[in-house]
Amino acid sequence: MLWYKAWLETRWRFAFLVGSILVVWLAPLWISSTGVPPGVPAAKQWMGLQLGSVLLYIFTAIYLAGSGINSQTLYAATSGFHGSMLFTLSLPVSRRRLLFVRAGLGALLTCILVAIMAGYILLRRPEATSALQSLVYLTRAIVCTMPVYALSVLVACVLDEMWQFMSACFVWVAVFLLQARVEVVSRVSPLRGMSLNCYPITAPMPWAPVAVSLVLTGVLLSLSVLVLQRKDY
Amino acid sequence: MISTHGLSKSYEGKPALIHLDLAVPRGSICGFLGRNGAGKTTTMKLLLGMLRRDAGSIWLFGEPVDSEESGVTARRRTAFVSEDKELYPFMTVDQTIRFTRAFFPTWRRDLEEKYLDLFQLPRKKTVPKLSRGMRTQLMLLLAMARGAELLIMDEPTSGLDPALTEEVLQALADLAASDGITIFFSSHQLAEVEQLCDRVCLIDRGQKVIDGVLDDLKAEYRRILLVFEGEPPRELASLPGVDHLRRNGRTASLLAHVDVDAVVDRARELMPISVEVHPVTLKELFLDHVKGE
Repeated sequence: MLWYKAWLETRWRFAFLVGSILVVWLAPLWISSTGVPPGVPAAKQWMGLQLGSVLLYIFTAIYLAGSGINSQTLYAATSGFHGSMLFTLSLPVSRRRLLFVRAGLGALLTCILVAIMAGYILLRRPEATSALQSLVYLTRAIVCTMPVYALSVLVACVLDEMWQFMSACFVWVAVFLLQARVEVVSRVSPLRGMSLNCYPITAPMPWAPVAVSLVLTGVLLSLSVLVLQRKDY
Repeated sequence: MISTHGLSKSYEGKPALIHLDLAVPRGSICGFLGRNGAGKTTTMKLLLGMLRRDAGSIWLFGEPVDSEESGVTARRRTAFVSEDKELYPFMTVDQTIRFTRAFFPTWRRDLEEKYLDLFQLPRKKTVPKLSRGMRTQLMLLLAMARGAELLIMDEPTSGLDPALTEEVLQALADLAASDGITIFFSSHQLAEVEQLCDRVCLIDRGQKVIDGVLDDLKAEYRRILLVFEGEPPRELASLPGVDHLRRNGRTASLLAHVDVDAVVDRARELMPISVEVHPVTLKELFLDHVKGE
């Protein structure tokens, strides 16, 4: 039943994201069918689509992590949203399980959407892509999106929804800026790991960002459990 | 059923609950009284594991609640009605009932049907479309039908009109009488506490000031009204056996509960022009303890 509740709570976010993805996909199609902008090579169009999709991976991960216990606070209730947090916490369910279900469903939906977006990028690629290349890209796109999701879950345990969204965005913008200036960050950044600009489709699996993403995801989710178990509601 | 020892909690260094020792026996209906901010909601949240205590211990159903697992076990036998009465806005009445039912193997279908009929709740409506009264009724239904042995309620009738309040109180009294469940609830409506409760516990500024069987308290406490020719003498406040003193012009009102006759004798030595002794109401007990000198 917790999964059912988590789905009811998340389904509109999921629908909104599906809508956003369709807009991003359909907009270039519409532009090219009307001949605007003229003379843009297919490879450049594809790169634009790819970059847009990476931004959507990040947005998806942050947005889907937003619905949870902290979005049900009394503060939210007085702002016109719901304050059902106390009802949830009065159920005979551990906070760890509440987090597991909430984060689990959000992660699952994030993986599905990222896989669909990554699949679409590969389908639209002007050159042929082998099955192995596709698999490598799908894997790293999903794995490197997970720390973005995990950080948002952690922040959602502490902050209300609006601040959660803004602070998560702030952190990843900071990582984006740092990776252009600091060599170590550049080598391990999950943002680079999910991009086909930094690691082309023909490149082997970029193990450094993938491994760092896995470790970061584990650490951030463990921290979320600790924070949630110690938090006063 | 509920037992706490030295329970303490502070928020950012400001004490909200100070060494609370509480004992609510099985099968009793205990009114938990206090002014706004006295620590009632904090106590309830501590009992349910929503807050972490700074010190002290909690026992529910004779078992210590000292870990997340023991908290989950205790909540399986407990129902809670929060002050804000907020439920999931994305669920209908039916979905909310089905959702809650899944967590409680002891769920009572008969009570679910009974209260659905009694409260006339529209099953297909989503929670935001319910009136505040209906939301309270739905919350009470969820609490009463789960087959819990302990009902913890934070101002269950707040926001209800008098007719609905009466309906809810009656339903609670019936449930307590037929199933022998323990009810621990806070309220600012002293009349409903007197109507429903057999025990009361009064806290003020995080500390317990009265705890006991309501009838015993009413029998123990007496109001002594004294009228003097001039201002009431200052010695009144220090008379042995006087719990609280209020002065108004030439009149002094004493609340006493230990050896009332001796208190009256000592008061007479201060030469009042009249002395009257009255039984006290719960409201007087409350007001004297939260406002007395």
